[in-house]
Amino acid sequence: MKRRKFVQNLLAAPAVAPLAAQTQQRPSAQPNAQARQTPQQPQEIASLAVTEVDLVAATQPHYFTADQFSALQKLAAVLVPPLKGKPGAVDAHAPEFLDFLISVSPAERQSLYRNGLESLNRMAQDQFHTNFHGLEAKQADAIIRPLLVARYWPQDMPEDPLKNFMAQIHEDLRTATANSREWAEGGSSSPSGGRVRRFNRGRGLYWRPIDPVVRG
Amino acid sequence: MATKQHDVLIVGSGHSGGMAAKILTEKGISCLMLNAGPEADLARDRTMKSAHELPYRGFGQPGRLPHVFQANEYNANQWVDEKENPYTHPPEAPYNWVRVRLLGGRSLFWARQSFRLSDYEFKAADIDGTGDNWPISLADLAPFYSRVEQIFRVSGRKEGWPQFPDGDFTDSSFPPDSETIKRFTELATKRGIGVSKWRFAQGRDGLASSINLLLPDALATGKLDIVENAIVREITVDKNTGLANGAYFLDRHSGREMHVKARAVVLAAGCLETTRLLLNSGICNSSGVMGHYLVDQMYGVSVVASVPEARDGKAPENLMGGSAFMPRFRNLSKKDKRDFIKGYCLHISSGGDANPQFFPLYGEELQRKVDSYAGSCVSAGIFGERVARYENYVRINKDVKDAWGIPVLHIEARDSENETNLRRDAANTAEELFHEAGWEIICNTDQVNPPGYSIHEVGTCRMGDNPKTSVLNKWCQSHDMKNLVVVDGASFVTCGWQNPTMTILALSMRASDHLGEQMRQGSV
Repeated sequence: MKRRKFVQNLLAAPAVAPLAAQTQQRPSAQPNAQARQTPQQPQEIASLAVTEVDLVAATQPHYFTADQFSALQKLAAVLVPPLKGKPGAVDAHAPEFLDFLISVSPAERQSLYRNGLESLNRMAQDQFHTNFHGLEAKQADAIIRPLLVARYWPQDMPEDPLKNFMAQIHEDLRTATANSREWAEGGSSSPSGGRVRRFNRGRGLYWRPIDPVVRG
Repeated sequence: MATKQHDVLIVGSGHSGGMAAKILTEKGISCLMLNAGPEADLARDRTMKSAHELPYRGFGQPGRLPHVFQANEYNANQWVDEKENPYTHPPEAPYNWVRVRLLGGRSLFWARQSFRLSDYEFKAADIDGTGDNWPISLADLAPFYSRVEQIFRVSGRKEGWPQFPDGDFTDSSFPPDSETIKRFTELATKRGIGVSKWRFAQGRDGLASSINLLLPDALATGKLDIVENAIVREITVDKNTGLANGAYFLDRHSGREMHVKARAVVLAAGCLETTRLLLNSGICNSSGVMGHYLVDQMYGVSVVASVPEARDGKAPENLMGGSAFMPRFRNLSKKDKRDFIKGYCLHISSGGDANPQFFPLYGEELQRKVDSYAGSCVSAGIFGERVARYENYVRINKDVKDAWGIPVLHIEARDSENETNLRRDAANTAEELFHEAGWEIICNTDQVNPPGYSIHEVGTCRMGDNPKTSVLNKWCQSHDMKNLVVVDGASFVTCGWQNPTMTILALSMRASDHLGEQMRQGSV
């Protein structure tokens, strides 16, 4: 079948001449009829070097309110700090990435995040008369630690909304950090836990869209 | 006008369709295969990427594949798009229907675990005291299993256990067990539980698929034509004979509708797609059983222990690593009284890490814990048999249509008390054995994934001798139409605890042999 398809591809080539073939014909302003009828072999064109967007631009947070985002940044700094020479969540711009990710997520997840961040600010105000971002390490620990639960099953999220939020954001921050460019460039040791572990230290076999249906 | 006629129309190109094509074409019978999706070019369509190069940093597009827990951003494009191909289920009873429409279907991605069913499954009603037996036994299928095992180059260790029938293995060599696997095996054996090894289809060139082990042979005969992107919406029937005579299908891209004729029709679209097609066609359901008895295996139950002397990177050589496999050991005799029928197997792996979620910690404290436990873990996971029940069923939902206007399936499947009790027994057994070994239990949950997750859905066109209580006969032919054969997992009567691929392949081979012989004799 591969052979059959290859032959079909060859037959199709003259109808849509590849760019390389067109370029080769350019010196002759009036290509003769014989040249047009000659099937052209598809030719490889060298790929151009392109730059990864995160090297030249920063994600612009837009989804969370300023208060919510400041709580997210604080949580990122506390839950996933820089360790063993590897960047932490803040260094990996995980808060900015999660602002984007949550903005395109289903409504249920958006509510979980917004309500969770609001709750942290409220608890910080109630207990320490400042927002969550302004807490000392011990103060933040007093709020965070009671919300942590052991989870044995991926779908087994706590029923308590705030504990659920804490479990979700902890996992998301770890994943966003471990899958970041900063982490990939920050050393060779693999992160512990999170989705990245499935991908051979951050690299994996990616399937491109395969013959997608094009709709008008 | 079509210029080429075919004897047999095959719908689907996975393991079962590929096997039907191979067997029939090698008998000189011309076949046309219609596949709903395109052919993947494994060199062109895949590339190595870092997670940070992906649009969603490895999280995947939120909400894109809510039912495919196996999906991630790397492999998201290999699965069926749930928006183009929706299905429905009650909100409180999720069902994970995991589909692939590429040429070769799910045979491109299966885990390659290769087991035979035993007569504990084929004659399950005799063992369980309830349910139904298959109309065939292991003896009927054994010669076909052997041929399949040779094609797929199955490796395994022979044990001589009736609940774990040996195959014709092409390789039986395994590396020596680590000390943890030896310890576990010793403790299980003391309890009378046999411990063996996984049985695995080696295939060729890292692939054990229809596209490299079956379809090339069929194409080599010159008797097979394959059409990709052909979405079959209805099987057509000759009004004079009452027999299937072809199918309507739609081009996936343009929606152009076409019709193809054939003397016989072989359905191999996967259990639920085949059932959907038959229900939408309104045929072969004089029994009223079609769509019922949907069943698959329970995957889950996670028990993880840490071996103390392996922590902090101090594991002596040969302590950790390797795996073991405990085939079904419950309810093998009527003396074994449990609060559930049927059984399960346990997959044991040594040398893994602890999942950070096991520990209610964060920051440096969490990292220290995870680092300390790295490589020290032994885990157990269950593949458990669900009971095939009439109440678990699929029907057509005419209110919802796919991107090509074809009504979709509504799926209702729920677990019973039997499943709850069985998985609890699995979790308790694994925990007891790990505890006896002196290992620290760091995770024990008897939770399982929703029905469908195992991607082993079977049973919705069950076979049987009685046309009033079954859809297919023992040759996988429709009781209502002898020239319509279902060769995928829809024919199963029970699902067993075993991965079903070897059985699907053997049944397809047997059914295709039979169909070919009947066509030669002129009786089909």
